[in-house]
Amino acid sequence: MNAIIALSLSGIASLFLGFSTNRKNLLITTLLFVLVALGLNLADWNHEYFWFNNMLKTDNLSINFSSVILLSTALVVAISRSFGDDEEHTHPAEYYAIMLFAAAGALMMVTYENMIMLFVGLEILSVSMYILTGSDKRNLRSNEAALKYFLMGAFATGILLFGVALVYGATGSFNIHGIGEVVSRTKKGMELFEGGVILYAGIILIFIGLLFKVSAAPFHFWTPDVYEGAPTIFTTFMSTVVKTAGVAAMYRLLSISFPAVYGLWGNPLVWITCLTLIVGNITAVYQQSFKRMLAYSSISHAGYLLITILAKTPNTNGSILFYSLAYSIATISAFAVLMIVSENKPKDGKPDESFEALNGLSVNNPFLAFVLTVSMLSLAGIPLTAGFFGKFFIFTDAFSNVSPLFKNILVVAILMSAVGVYYYFKPIIAVYMKKGEIAEIQLPLIYKITLIITTALTIILGIAPDLVKNMF
Amino acid sequence: MNFWYFLTALTLLSALMVVFAKNPIHSVLYLVFTFFCISGHYVLLNAQFLMAVNIIVYAGAIMVLFLFVIMMLDLRKNVPESKSNLTKLAGAVLGGTLLVVFIAATRHMNLGNGSGAIGAQTGMVESLGMILYKDYLLPFELVSVLFFVAMVGAVMLGKREAGERNF
Repeated sequence: MNAIIALSLSGIASLFLGFSTNRKNLLITTLLFVLVALGLNLADWNHEYFWFNNMLKTDNLSINFSSVILLSTALVVAISRSFGDDEEHTHPAEYYAIMLFAAAGALMMVTYENMIMLFVGLEILSVSMYILTGSDKRNLRSNEAALKYFLMGAFATGILLFGVALVYGATGSFNIHGIGEVVSRTKKGMELFEGGVILYAGIILIFIGLLFKVSAAPFHFWTPDVYEGAPTIFTTFMSTVVKTAGVAAMYRLLSISFPAVYGLWGNPLVWITCLTLIVGNITAVYQQSFKRMLAYSSISHAGYLLITILAKTPNTNGSILFYSLAYSIATISAFAVLMIVSENKPKDGKPDESFEALNGLSVNNPFLAFVLTVSMLSLAGIPLTAGFFGKFFIFTDAFSNVSPLFKNILVVAILMSAVGVYYYFKPIIAVYMKKGEIAEIQLPLIYKITLIITTALTIILGIAPDLVKNMF
Repeated sequence: MNFWYFLTALTLLSALMVVFAKNPIHSVLYLVFTFFCISGHYVLLNAQFLMAVNIIVYAGAIMVLFLFVIMMLDLRKNVPESKSNLTKLAGAVLGGTLLVVFIAATRHMNLGNGSGAIGAQTGMVESLGMILYKDYLLPFELVSVLFFVAMVGAVMLGKREAGERNF
């Protein structure tokens, strides 16, 4: 909660800092703001607080999710390089401010106790993302992506809000524990209580709204275009912070409010999960652009995260947390390498984001090649990286669930991770095997440190996953 | 009760006309009418303040904005439909399913006998203010962050920059 207040205030402060300081200072200050928020967030550790008439509730789980979000935000800010040195066309103060506000919205989404807070948080995050997607004003693709994201996102929010209204009508409560109480009083199975159908319709509509935000399969059509059109730095933000917040919000709602009607949302979610895994992974194989491939990979990772939400074991908390952390740091390193390499080799005046742009990277830039390799291995789930244990925990959760349905999901998930290995190795092959000429790229110090942190974290978590997993 | 039926029928009719009207200007005018009907519902629910706000903000300010935008963009030309038949079919099936679910939901609803006492103060500004500034203080304050983000974004995206095409 204090972190949310701090982020909101520092967002405003960062806007004012845009008047006076130069770009370098702005980066450092924003980084400092995020780290302060991270500290304030951790200060509530081991205390369960309700804030402002049960609007928010901080517990260890929500603090952990908040920490993952703030860590990702800090890393993204650190690789932003103050958005180049084009004084005329980039506005770093505004970008940083909006990122800080977006982080505040994301924190609301993982700590909410009242549906209104979920809605406000989701809207702050989404509106910030619409703006940042379109921030490259002279790029037609960026404009298109922003408009597409805005229109579709507005509809998704409308659907979510309609669902919240229906659930309120059926249960008479906005409070997620209150809703859970009413719902659990229903008779077992699908028998209707007073206003039952309304409740079910409401749950499904809320579901659609949230699944859109995490880009699960039938609602994923915006993802590739938006991820490709947005400036890479904001794509990084979108695919880490927004995804973590969306999944955490969904998990909170499903595990607290609606465990009693598992039969209702479980069945559609099984199909959605399988579809997400299949669509995300198979389509990623056919991509020529590295950035677009990462967009589809983010769809498929949403699928893996949905498996563990479905599995509902006592380990689910730790599994989701570990997976989102592993996914976030690996994605940040991948996008960081893509960003700096693609800008180094412009094609038609625009950064070249195809796989060919990576050809021969290892000759003069062994460090970048290594970072990219580790992150790709982690995303593919190869042992000794964090991604392997992320997948391992999720598959264990699915396996420990007695329902025979989970064996089917597991088969799909394992097959699809095998497909994943194929396309995640494409950039590695381009980097080491293909011939190409890339001059040595000078990395700013803070950029280098960030890459070292993400890579080290990926490897450390791959060797000693208990560091994070046993926090519960 | 009879008045309620009349108002509801009017609301539904004007809402349908929003969708079916060919001319966008007509659509907006029907939308204004829909908002007036919804304000009528607020009155029936003893929420006078909401009624006033709904008319002032939605029917007044936002709809006028809509009208301006439509007039500025000159959308009167009939643009041929670009959707394929498959998309239309999928949309119709999905929308129809949702409609059936909602009809089923309303049929199962237990509306009670309507004797639940409503306090005379329910919809008054005073009680609304008490709820807004006591129970819902935090979302009320945080919504300002949302508006602030939207404003900063609008200014950032709308500002003319050097080297840009001037219309």
